[in-house]
Amino acid sequence: MNKNLYQPINGEIVEIIDESPTIKSFVVVLNEKFSFKTGQFVELTLPGVGEAPFTPSSSPAETEKMDITIMKAGRVTDLLHKCKKGQKVGIRGPFGNGYPIGDFVGKQVYIVGGGVGLAPIRSLFLTLVDRIKDFKSVVCRFGAKTPDDFIYKKTLFGSWQKIAGVDMKLTVDKANGNWKDNVGVVTTIMKEKDVNIKNAVAIACGPPIMMKFATQKLLEFGFAPKDIYLSMEKNMSCGVGKCGHCMIGKYYVCKDGPVFSYEQIKKYTDIWD
Amino acid sequence: METVFISELKPLLNAVAEQMELYVPKKSGEYYVFIKYDPSSGKTAEFNNIRACTPIKEFLFPLCELAAVFPEPVEPEEIKPFAVFGLKDCDLKSIEALDKVFLEDEFRDSSYVARRENMFIISSDCFEPRQSCCCTLFGGQNYAESGFDLNIAQVKDGFVVEAGSDKGEKFLQEHKDIFVEVHSEAIMERDSIRKQTLRQLEENNAKYNLDGPVNEIMERGGDSEVFDIESQKCVECQACTRVCPTCHCFYLYDTKQKDYFSKMKMWDSCMRLAYAEVAGGANPRKVLGSRIKHRLMHKFSYFFDRYGINMCVGCGRCIDADAHKMDIRVVLKKLNEELKEKPKAKVAK
Repeated sequence: MNKNLYQPINGEIVEIIDESPTIKSFVVVLNEKFSFKTGQFVELTLPGVGEAPFTPSSSPAETEKMDITIMKAGRVTDLLHKCKKGQKVGIRGPFGNGYPIGDFVGKQVYIVGGGVGLAPIRSLFLTLVDRIKDFKSVVCRFGAKTPDDFIYKKTLFGSWQKIAGVDMKLTVDKANGNWKDNVGVVTTIMKEKDVNIKNAVAIACGPPIMMKFATQKLLEFGFAPKDIYLSMEKNMSCGVGKCGHCMIGKYYVCKDGPVFSYEQIKKYTDIWD
Repeated sequence: METVFISELKPLLNAVAEQMELYVPKKSGEYYVFIKYDPSSGKTAEFNNIRACTPIKEFLFPLCELAAVFPEPVEPEEIKPFAVFGLKDCDLKSIEALDKVFLEDEFRDSSYVARRENMFIISSDCFEPRQSCCCTLFGGQNYAESGFDLNIAQVKDGFVVEAGSDKGEKFLQEHKDIFVEVHSEAIMERDSIRKQTLRQLEENNAKYNLDGPVNEIMERGGDSEVFDIESQKCVECQACTRVCPTCHCFYLYDTKQKDYFSKMKMWDSCMRLAYAEVAGGANPRKVLGSRIKHRLMHKFSYFFDRYGINMCVGCGRCIDADAHKMDIRVVLKKLNEELKEKPKAKVAK
C-alpha cells in the first residue's frame, strides 16, 4: 500500500517555554522515529482544529524530541498558545529541502535574522556550531522589536556569544531597561567590514520586510544572488507540491524550498508580500 | 491494437457493466453530465457529441474526501474497478496532467493512485464541437490516439471500437461474441468524420491563433495590464477553477468527530482572495488581476516548465461556465497582439 501523504504521526507536547510575549516554544515527542534536515519544515496538527507549517528550531542531531517555536499569528497558532503540557498533536513531514550545509563548508556563514525568524536559524546555528571548525566563521546579526521580544534569551544573551568562531551582534528597534547593545533595525548592524565577501554565504530569515532590506544590503556588500539563502514563508499546506497554496512563480515553497537562493526567486515581484 | 465493430452500444455497455460500475453521459439541458449506467433499464446510453460539462477529475480527485483519520489510522476506502464512457481527447489529456501531479514518484497520492488504477477509460470521438471548444489551440484534437482503454467512434451503421491498452485488448478478447470484424469503409468513414470535425475546430478557433508557443507568450507577457483589465469582468465566482479538468488545488482541513479526528481534502481555488494568505495576513496576490495572471501562468508557463506539458487542454469548460464570458482565448490573443509591439527580450528562466 502507498504511504498516505496526509497521515500525521501522533505526538505530544511535553514542555512549553515562554519565549516572548507572543512566542512560545513547544517541545514535541513523537510516537515514531523522526528525523529532519535543518531548514526543512513540518506541518503541525492541532487535532480537530487545523495544521500549520513550522520549521523546527531544535538541532536535527536531537532525535528524541523536537522544538517548535511558534508566534501567535492566526487561528491555529492562537489555539496552540492556549495548549497545556500533555496536549496531543500530529506531525507531517519533514518537507522541503533545508539548508545546503555541505555548500557552506570552508566558508564564512553570515546569518541575518529577526523576530520569530530566529526559530529556523536556531536549528541552523546549532547544526553549524556542532561542527564549527568546518566553517571559516559564523557571523550572526539578529534583531527584535524590543529586548523582551528576543527569543531564546538565555542562550542568545549568554553561551552562544562565547562560542569560538561565532561573531554575534544583536539589535533592537526600541530599547528598554538595561539594553546596552545597538538600537536600530537589523541592517544597522550589518557592516561590510565584517564580511569576507570572497568566501561567504549569507542566510536571511525573518519578517518579509526585514528579509527584503537585508537582501538589498547583502547585495550591496557584493554577495552574488546565488549565495544568499532565504527561508521563505508562504501558505504551505499539503507539503508535497500539489495543493498550490504556497507557489512563488513556478516553485512550490513546500517542495522546492522553503530555502531558496535569491537567484532562484529574484524575478518574481511578489516574494516579499 | 485491435479494432472491431459493433452495430449498437448496448451490448458493449452491458458487457462493461457486468464487470464494474459504469458511468455514462446523459444530456441535461444543453450539456452532458455523467450518471451511473443501469443495464436493466432497457435504455442505452447517449453518445455524447462533445465532452461533458463536469470535469473528469471528479472521478479521480473527488470534490471532498477523507484524507486521514487519527490518532488511530484507518484502512483507506476500497476502490473497486469502475468505467467511464464518453471521455474525449481533452479529458484524457487532463488526466495526463493530473497524473503528473498526483503520481509524482516521491509523492504519490494514494487515493488518486487507487482510483486511477481502477478506472477503465472508454473514450469517444467528438463530432459536434461547441463554440467554446479550443483543444486544437493547445495541441489537442477531436479524437484520442492514446490514454484510453477503449475508444469508440460513431459511424453511420454503428461504432468502431479500438483498444488502446492491455486492459482494453483483454476486454475485446473476452467479448469476441458481441463484436464483428471492422470493414475498411467504416474506418474510412470514421477518419473522414475526424478530419471534418478537426477542420471545423480549426476554423472556429482561427481567430485565436497565436504567433508562437503559448508558454512563451505567457512568459513574455507576464507584466501586461491585460490581466487587470480582464479582471474587471470577473465576479470571482471561481467557476472556472471548479469546472476546469486540470485545476487541482485543494484545501486540507481538520474536523473533530465523536471518537476520532480527521483531515479532509477539498477542492480549492487559486481565484479565492485568501487562497495564498499566510497567518498574520500577508498575501502575495491580493489583487484579482494578479490571481488571474497566476492561474494562467501556472497553466501555460509554470506547469510546462516543470512537467513539459500545458495545464490547459482547451476543453472550453471555463468559457461556458464564466458568468461574464471571460474567454481564455481572448486573453491570450490580447497578450499576443501586445507582444507584437514589444521587442523579444531574453526570457529569464
